[in-house]
Amino acid sequence: MMNELKEFYEQMLLLRLFDQQCMDLKKKDLIYSGYHPYEGQEAVAVGFCGALKPDDVLLSTHRPHCHAVAKGCPIEAVLTEMMGRRTGCSGGLGGAMQFIAVENNFYCGSVVGSNLGLATGFALAMKQRQSGQVCMCIFGDGASNHGTFHEALNLAAIWKLPVVFVCENNQFAEAMPMKEFVACERISMRARGYGLEEITVDGNDVQESRRAADAAIERCRNGQGPVLIEAVTYRIRGHYVGDPEATYRDPAEVVEARKREPLVRARQKLLDDGTDPVELEAMEVAIVEKLANLEKWALQQEFPTLECAVDHVGIPLANAPEVRGPLALTH
Amino acid sequence: MPTVTFGEAIRQAYEEEMIRDKNVFLIGEDVGRWGSLYRSSRGLLEKFGTDQLKDTPISEAALAGCGVGAAAMGMRPIVEIMYIDFISISMDQIVNHAAKWHQLSNGKVRLPIVFKTQGGAGRRNSSQHSQSLENWFVNIPGLITVMPSTPYDVKGLLKSAIRDDNPVMFIEHKSLYFDKGEVPEEEYLIPLGQADVKRSGGDLTIIATSWMVSFALKAAAQLQEDGISCEVIDPRTLWPLDKQTLINSVKKTGLCLIVTEAPAEGGWSGEASSVVHEHCFGDLKKPVKRHCGMRTGIPYGPTLEFDCIPSVNSIIQAARDLVGRP
Repeated sequence: MMNELKEFYEQMLLLRLFDQQCMDLKKKDLIYSGYHPYEGQEAVAVGFCGALKPDDVLLSTHRPHCHAVAKGCPIEAVLTEMMGRRTGCSGGLGGAMQFIAVENNFYCGSVVGSNLGLATGFALAMKQRQSGQVCMCIFGDGASNHGTFHEALNLAAIWKLPVVFVCENNQFAEAMPMKEFVACERISMRARGYGLEEITVDGNDVQESRRAADAAIERCRNGQGPVLIEAVTYRIRGHYVGDPEATYRDPAEVVEARKREPLVRARQKLLDDGTDPVELEAMEVAIVEKLANLEKWALQQEFPTLECAVDHVGIPLANAPEVRGPLALTH
Repeated sequence: MPTVTFGEAIRQAYEEEMIRDKNVFLIGEDVGRWGSLYRSSRGLLEKFGTDQLKDTPISEAALAGCGVGAAAMGMRPIVEIMYIDFISISMDQIVNHAAKWHQLSNGKVRLPIVFKTQGGAGRRNSSQHSQSLENWFVNIPGLITVMPSTPYDVKGLLKSAIRDDNPVMFIEHKSLYFDKGEVPEEEYLIPLGQADVKRSGGDLTIIATSWMVSFALKAAAQLQEDGISCEVIDPRTLWPLDKQTLINSVKKTGLCLIVTEAPAEGGWSGEASSVVHEHCFGDLKKPVKRHCGMRTGIPYGPTLEFDCIPSVNSIIQAARDLVGRP
């Protein structure tokens, strides 16, 4: 188990440092759109997204970069997508909130709640083909108030679709604290309304998260899906870099949350169990170096051209080549 | 050649495509047991089973999303939205996902999905069950928008839409399902993006869509009796628009009347008018005239809705005004 935790810790540390690097790039205006930091939620990415096999599908959110890396998308493609470069997952056309990595079966988007509906379709195809694949759909506490949450959970439940719905509860829907937008104690309580089991896990405990993910994935592969899990964590940073945090929370709350965040906890456990701190320092040094090289490489990558931007609007029809974009500018 | 209803032509298209490709499936409210509201999929549940005929809860957002996800996996869903008015609930999945994923995946994700629905007035259903909302989709890059007007066209176009790898909005008209027309027994396809000259003539071009095509043809027949020769063009696919067929006709006639049931303001009729003005300016004897539905919610009652949309008589009047023989 210690080897497992050390492995998870290393993966979470990569995500933490990657997220911090992205925040710096955002501040330098090298990431252009709104950037939604992931700090403090790494145990959910590693515990849940990391539990999927390559041919399983993951549908993520507007805060997707760490989910993507944990799912197995090349970090080079994720970073350069956020930096708008051609080597990005979506060729630099999607950005920090929406991109698709087909080879890694990874999709995300910047409309809150949509992915629950989309998940039912991936899972329906998997079920009908008896492919043994699973679809994981990860969304925030805010998305649980979206109409699609209800429609999709119900549809998945009546059709027993192989979807693992993961509500990554970071306590805030943009600037609104959860206690103000949900009347029930736990979002997972809503599972009963769909005939599903109520499952809540400590989303800051990477091993507990992984065990819950493995069990849910197994249920889905056995045809007993879907599963809804609420993973409780905390958003240490703002909704986006530079949001007016003082309007919705007391800074003391964040100080407290930092004591319980997943890396602090995993590190303490490793040290308590006799891991040499020097080993953990070396781990960090190696990641920092890797990320520095990654950034150097990323900055040299080209931006997409206007041709790239309009090349795949649609598939040209034999009779009507104008289904493509370029001519729309000139007609 | 056998004569069948519009609804039966749809059923034949479903049947042929479902046999041809097991990935084709119809998903929507009451598409199985009822065989759809207008019975256009009747009998198919018994033949193809629940894998290809999927009755769903009343959940237009989820079932549109379900179609998009399944299409991304290589299936060929036909998502039926019972009334186009309800498609407002599905718009996020259509506009933000179906229309975007091909581009966001650098062309790697293909979405062979048909969003099939029906709109328009004529069945006394009032303003939340009678709208003509096709214009919304024409303005979204990444979508193809089809509006068939005859049994022959609906079968050939639907088969093409099912086989196409783009997301296609396939918008029928509720007042057309029981119209009859000739449909050949042998298989045929009608390419998307190709207009059809429904009637040839030399004095005036009438461009009409969906239910209005039959109105325009009746008007043209009566106008012929008075010596006014109309050419009636049905674009069939609103986007991509077969501009050349429109242009060729107007270059010949020099006059153009556009007839849609949807209100003119901000709509496809303005797009078609603009295409004609831009390409035929020197040939036009007068500016293009639009004759469209009123900018109002379709009213209830035995007949009032018909006063809010073009009629055969009002098309005749508009045509007469244009040719200068009121």
